[in-house]
Amino acid sequence: MKQFLTLFKSPMFVIGFSLFVGTLLLALLGPLVFNITTERVGVQYAPPSGKYWFGCDDLGRDYVSLLIKGLQASLYVGFLAGIIATTLGTLLGIYGGFKGGLVDDIINMVTNLFIVIPSIVIIILISASFSEGRSLTLIAVIIGMTAWTWSARAVRAQSSALKSKDHISLAKMNGANTFAVITLHILPYLASYVFMVFILQVATGILTEAAISMIGLGPLDTVSLGTILNQAKNNGALSDGIWWAFLPATVIITMVVFALYLINTSAEGVFNPRLRK
Amino acid sequence: MAIFEVDNLSLHYLTRFGKKIHAVTGVTFNMEKGEILGIAGESGCGKSTLVNGLMGLFIPPLYPTSGDVRVNGESLMNRTPNDIRQNVLSRKVSMIPQGAFNALNPTRKVKDIAADVMAAHLKNVDKKEIYDRLVERFDLFGMDTKKVLNSFPIQLTAGERQRSVIGISTLLNPQMVIADEPTSALDVTTQKVVIRLIFDLLEKGIFSTMIFITHELPLLRHVADNIGIMYAGEFVEYGTTDQIVFDPRHPYTKALMGAMLSAEPGQKQKKPTAIEGAPPNLANPIFGCRFADRCPVAKEDCKKSEQEIRMVAGRQVRCQYAE
Repeated sequence: MKQFLTLFKSPMFVIGFSLFVGTLLLALLGPLVFNITTERVGVQYAPPSGKYWFGCDDLGRDYVSLLIKGLQASLYVGFLAGIIATTLGTLLGIYGGFKGGLVDDIINMVTNLFIVIPSIVIIILISASFSEGRSLTLIAVIIGMTAWTWSARAVRAQSSALKSKDHISLAKMNGANTFAVITLHILPYLASYVFMVFILQVATGILTEAAISMIGLGPLDTVSLGTILNQAKNNGALSDGIWWAFLPATVIITMVVFALYLINTSAEGVFNPRLRK
Repeated sequence: MAIFEVDNLSLHYLTRFGKKIHAVTGVTFNMEKGEILGIAGESGCGKSTLVNGLMGLFIPPLYPTSGDVRVNGESLMNRTPNDIRQNVLSRKVSMIPQGAFNALNPTRKVKDIAADVMAAHLKNVDKKEIYDRLVERFDLFGMDTKKVLNSFPIQLTAGERQRSVIGISTLLNPQMVIADEPTSALDVTTQKVVIRLIFDLLEKGIFSTMIFITHELPLLRHVADNIGIMYAGEFVEYGTTDQIVFDPRHPYTKALMGAMLSAEPGQKQKKPTAIEGAPPNLANPIFGCRFADRCPVAKEDCKKSEQEIRMVAGRQVRCQYAE
């Protein structure tokens, strides 16, 4: 815990963290401050004004409402995908690396298979096959199920290096079973590492969701930052110079991902004693 | 009566591909109460494997091939690991592990590590009781007990860590202790402190009998009553300390003594000589004498017949030409 508190001594972390908390607060508290509605309120592509800060879209909906709803959706996808990918990757990686032998070989083979096939292709194919009922949760699950590979491989390397440590063989000698060894002796070692992997996976989740939504394979049941971009692209907002249709969404995505990357990079500087100042 | 008897003990590792590696072959010795036996040999000769075998604790891939180990006449063979842990380890036989820094989990406090170890050996334990016991025992070591117990291993000095490890190993007053290179990772001054600590416990009667495993022969000379020299999984020579150190008979023991620096008067000019070659690969079957390839006095027939243990000048030697 102490280590997590020392994070706040790093200015980079403080910047990233405040940016991220800012967007989180916008998503959570936005509905209390702004009147969120997806009904038609203004004319088509009404430019930004005092009443509609970011103008209106092609259906005359207020962009502030859409952006807040979209941010909520993107964060939800990011966190759900991140939790799935990190849990899956960490469990498979630790178990494979610790057990070794045939189990490790099989897990390794599956991991390599997933690494070799570009995940975006799998995501596009699965998303495209759900022409109906493509929900936000489904997309998050698909992203999570394809993004676990690198974390599994990295965690496997660590746990496989740890398993030959003396204190682990002594723990086994004292009768600790696989579960006890993993939870008491390996996971605490990897906690900071898993935390960093999780942050990266959340960022990847948000970016991937935006990418597939932008090409029109996003969720059908809600607005996300990606679908806002998709709409803007489909209606030719870019060539018509309607900047308020795509710029705010782009900036928000960039900001969230940038904040997460800042957190990850600064965390490495704190958790890795060699980089610690 | 001998309290610890090892009878023709052979151990092997089973690799993933079904290959057997015979790490220890035909080790036999008896120990009386109060005896200190030193076992010496080069790296990879099977010392640490032997330690596991002597405790009767066979964790795959280590398996017993043949032979028997008896503590107070009670055999340790063919027993479940749990039975061994609760009835033998820590009470009758205890191990002081190699390298204190690696033996302690860096993410847990010393008292939690100790509690874990105790929980493995006692059925119903109270955390408070263990803590009191730890404080009492650690106070013997002249350390800042409260501080050490509430520290993470990384916050302790090398000596404190080693003392903690020894303290945890001997907490349940074992009859005998197997020390597996307890000093190998320490500098000379700390080594001395640790050795003194072990002998302090011996004098205070916390345990009486000890097997001391090391590759440092000069150390054994000062601490052991008897010495066994191991080579490629076998005892090649086994006798009293004076016999082994001052009058070695097996060619390997002689070579080992020759490879050592000595600070004795009149010996300072002597240059240590290396033993040429490398030990045999234990994964392959070996015929005849295992040292024959490196032996300066080997003859043609050394590799043809299995070497039996002979009594030469009052000690056991595994060489047909030793005199």
